[in-house]
Amino acid sequence: MVRELIDVLISGITNGSVYAMMAIGMALVYGVTKVFNFAYGSFFSMGGYLAFVFFGLKLGYLPVLLVVLPALFFAGMATERFIVRPLRKRADWEMTAVMVTLGLALFLDNLYQAVFGPFVKSLPILFTGNLNVSGFTLSIQDISIFFVAIAIMVAFILFLGRTRMGMAVEAVAQDMVGAEIVGIPKDLVFGFAFAISAVLVGFGGILLAPKYFVSPLGGWNILVKAWVITALGGMGSIRGSLYAAFILGIVEAFVGWQFGFTWTLFAWFAVLLSTLIVRPQGLFGTWG
Amino acid sequence: MGLMMEMRKDLMLLLLMYAVLCLVPLAAHGNLHLMNILIICLIWAVVAAAWDLIMGFAGIFTFGQVAFFVIGAYGSAILTRTTGVSPWLGILLGGLLTGTIGVLVGLPCLRLKGAYVALVTFAVHMILEPFLKSNIGRAIGTGGPQGILSIPALNLGGYKFSSMHLVPPYYAALIISFVALLIIYKIIHSPWGLAFVAVRDSEVFAKSLGIDDFKYKLAVFGISAFLTGMIGAFYAHYIGMLSTRILGLDLFLILMVMLVVGGMGRFPGAVIGSFIAIFLSEWLRFLESWRMVIFGAIVILMVLFMPQGITGLLFPLEGSGPVDRLLRRLRGTDAVACKSD
Repeated sequence: MVRELIDVLISGITNGSVYAMMAIGMALVYGVTKVFNFAYGSFFSMGGYLAFVFFGLKLGYLPVLLVVLPALFFAGMATERFIVRPLRKRADWEMTAVMVTLGLALFLDNLYQAVFGPFVKSLPILFTGNLNVSGFTLSIQDISIFFVAIAIMVAFILFLGRTRMGMAVEAVAQDMVGAEIVGIPKDLVFGFAFAISAVLVGFGGILLAPKYFVSPLGGWNILVKAWVITALGGMGSIRGSLYAAFILGIVEAFVGWQFGFTWTLFAWFAVLLSTLIVRPQGLFGTWG
Repeated sequence: MGLMMEMRKDLMLLLLMYAVLCLVPLAAHGNLHLMNILIICLIWAVVAAAWDLIMGFAGIFTFGQVAFFVIGAYGSAILTRTTGVSPWLGILLGGLLTGTIGVLVGLPCLRLKGAYVALVTFAVHMILEPFLKSNIGRAIGTGGPQGILSIPALNLGGYKFSSMHLVPPYYAALIISFVALLIIYKIIHSPWGLAFVAVRDSEVFAKSLGIDDFKYKLAVFGISAFLTGMIGAFYAHYIGMLSTRILGLDLFLILMVMLVVGGMGRFPGAVIGSFIAIFLSEWLRFLESWRMVIFGAIVILMVLFMPQGITGLLFPLEGSGPVDRLLRRLRGTDAVACKSD
């Protein structure tokens, strides 16, 4: 019983770390550009499928990442430049941006299905084998996923606080007009936010592929999950997303263990709604 | 004067379309395939127009429309199967059930901001499928993963509608959809409709004038859910079986195409859009899985380059389109172009 509990906890924390990485990407785009990107889940699948293609060319893990991550970066940037930015001039851009990103999501998902077929694809596993720690077996795969996700998040937070581009991103998130007045190139920052978020979620797609595989419609689950996490943490709050991701990751593992994984979303919504009743702005959110 | 013209223009277009649709069976009654497609078009015209009422006019991003359709369909199917009530009563009760659920979803939702509503309603769509397939769903009669395989057919005074003779269901669909569209038309041109336009165009100003849009929004959310659930129930009795396959994203995408092709917030554009989208979807069937890729691309391109859809081509908001010129010539007036909607 105790042993099972700890296994569940470990699985929850591992998933939570990847969820945190993906939720941060969503919080970033929403916080900076005020666009809700409905195609977010499709970038998750895009990461998986691009990796699948390049693994098919018999490349190793590192070369694949070196090709796929920049590709995701440019895909995110192109989305902002060609699909979202033209709408900003319109009065009803908020609604049309939701429509157009939802259209993009359906376009991409159906494209994956047309090109790769409806069946799931699997990616090679980075590490095999288990580690024995005082009687508990940990899979090295899980440990590596956890540390890679944490490393990426630390890098991202350092980027935000320590680089000029990162500070520009924060400035635009805090005060769009003010940032423009002091000469921060807003359009570039918007493009950058989309690009980084595509990398974060696409990398998540690669990391989670050994567990959930790559499938054309796999992104929808991720979109809703990332949204529940950011809403629980407080929309646009990166710290909130971090805590919320681990809480919900553990909730998922427990619910999956006790009732089966189909009930995950129900449980998540229950947690979200009961939290929002007490704190409508989310755990760490502020209004406005 | 300007407002009157605009009102007549969309109503006239609707009446014209329905006049033509009334006559279609004279030529097409033998072609079961075509008649079936037309009935499906009429059904989806209501769903698309009800969605447009919320999205395009009330300015609420909701993505729960297919879910409401399915709730109405399952509701009426289960009710008529378990209690044996007439399918007509089932359609009404299915609509009322959906309307109630719509209000329940709307109550917390409509206090949220734009994109949140989109996600909460989309989440309703996402969790409906596992719910209908689950043991709880099976216990209330959804048939679990198999769905419901035999739903009582519609009947009229002892005459049972059948899939071999589609003229009676066609006219039933024509009448029901026409009434539903008239209700939507009435709402758009009621003081509620004006309140929405005011709030949509300038929220702060409208609210400072004392327009409380929440109760209107909730009412319209409920009415839209009612109409969608009702037509969903009609669909269930017409098709005769149901499964959670309708909740797949293909149908959702086709519905989006109806809206953007017809023109968002441009009644009766959604009706035109539904005929175009469904016929297009039939014609492109040979493309197999690429069909939906094209539909996705249509949504993106329409939103980017033709935000008012086909209706925007026929009569642009500025009142200088071909239909406006024709109207002006017919009336012999050069009334001031209007911007009322």
